[in-house]
Amino acid sequence: MAEDVKPTRKNLMEIEDRIELSERGHDTLEQKRDGLIMEFMDILDQAKDVRSDLNEDYDHAQETINMARAVEGDVAVRGAAAALKEHPEITSQSKNIMGVVVPQIESSRVRKRLDERGYGLLGSSSRIDETAEAYEELIETIVLAAEVETAMRKMLEEIEKTKRRVNALEFKLLPDLRKNQEYIEQKLEEQEREEIFRLKKIKAKKEEEASEAAEAEREADETAEEPERVSADD
Amino acid sequence: MSREIAVVGSPEFTTGFRLAGVRRCENVPDGEKATALDDAVESVLDDDGVGIVVMHDDDTDHLSRRVRERVETSIEPVVVTLGASGAGGLRGQIKRAIGIDLMDEEEDDT
Repeated sequence: MAEDVKPTRKNLMEIEDRIELSERGHDTLEQKRDGLIMEFMDILDQAKDVRSDLNEDYDHAQETINMARAVEGDVAVRGAAAALKEHPEITSQSKNIMGVVVPQIESSRVRKRLDERGYGLLGSSSRIDETAEAYEELIETIVLAAEVETAMRKMLEEIEKTKRRVNALEFKLLPDLRKNQEYIEQKLEEQEREEIFRLKKIKAKKEEEASEAAEAEREADETAEEPERVSADD
Repeated sequence: MSREIAVVGSPEFTTGFRLAGVRRCENVPDGEKATALDDAVESVLDDDGVGIVVMHDDDTDHLSRRVRERVETSIEPVVVTLGASGAGGLRGQIKRAIGIDLMDEEEDDT
């Protein structure tokens, strides 16, 4: 990986910029992840309460329908159930929690008056009314649970995504960039050392050449002086 | 856009919800759950008019791996399971995302 990068000063500067940016991104994402986890913990507390209410309401609804079946008979209960005309509906809006869009679900026409249930006042018993009421209550709690659990799922998805990004920066991108930076720095230092060595060599060679030239000149001068001295002696 | 609530399960499970006015009920008798539950669940999950799907937690055991995964991760519509812990796929997802089994704590509290 590091060997793919050209060891130039320009690349080194680019890598240093990318490291700085990645470190800033890593810190920001870490903060986001921690914030999301804190928000999630709040939702989890709410989810615990809703889940416990849901279990209670379901148990209660089961008890009432079992009682109604035992007293009125299964056919009577089914007959009353088939007569219902008003249907519960849900509408959802959205709210934003740290960039995560979570739904706010509202229900309508869940709770009904006796005369709205459609099976008639005379044709049914209080057991069936109680059962219908228990299930209406259960549906309200289900709507709340759906809202909270959807928010939880969405938050968890976002936490996982942020965590993956933090890990990719921390364990892949930043180490690779630092490795490249180190590689280029080493190569540049090596090039610098080679350059100094080469300059020293050239300097030494030039000095040697200069001293050789000076020596040769001195020798030439000496040889030129000697015949003059010999002729003078003669 | 208003949506409705759908209930999938045995006729004994869905009757109560019918009493509360729920009209989208997919009845799957206990003996047919192994073969027919997948289709029933998928039909409500694919229905744009359904916002919430209600199931019994034990019924998720009858689902194929693919449909169960859809049930556990579906957001629109969201699937609410009743009975047992009801935690569904949330537990695994929490463990993966947070690194701790927080539902364990939840069960201890409740």
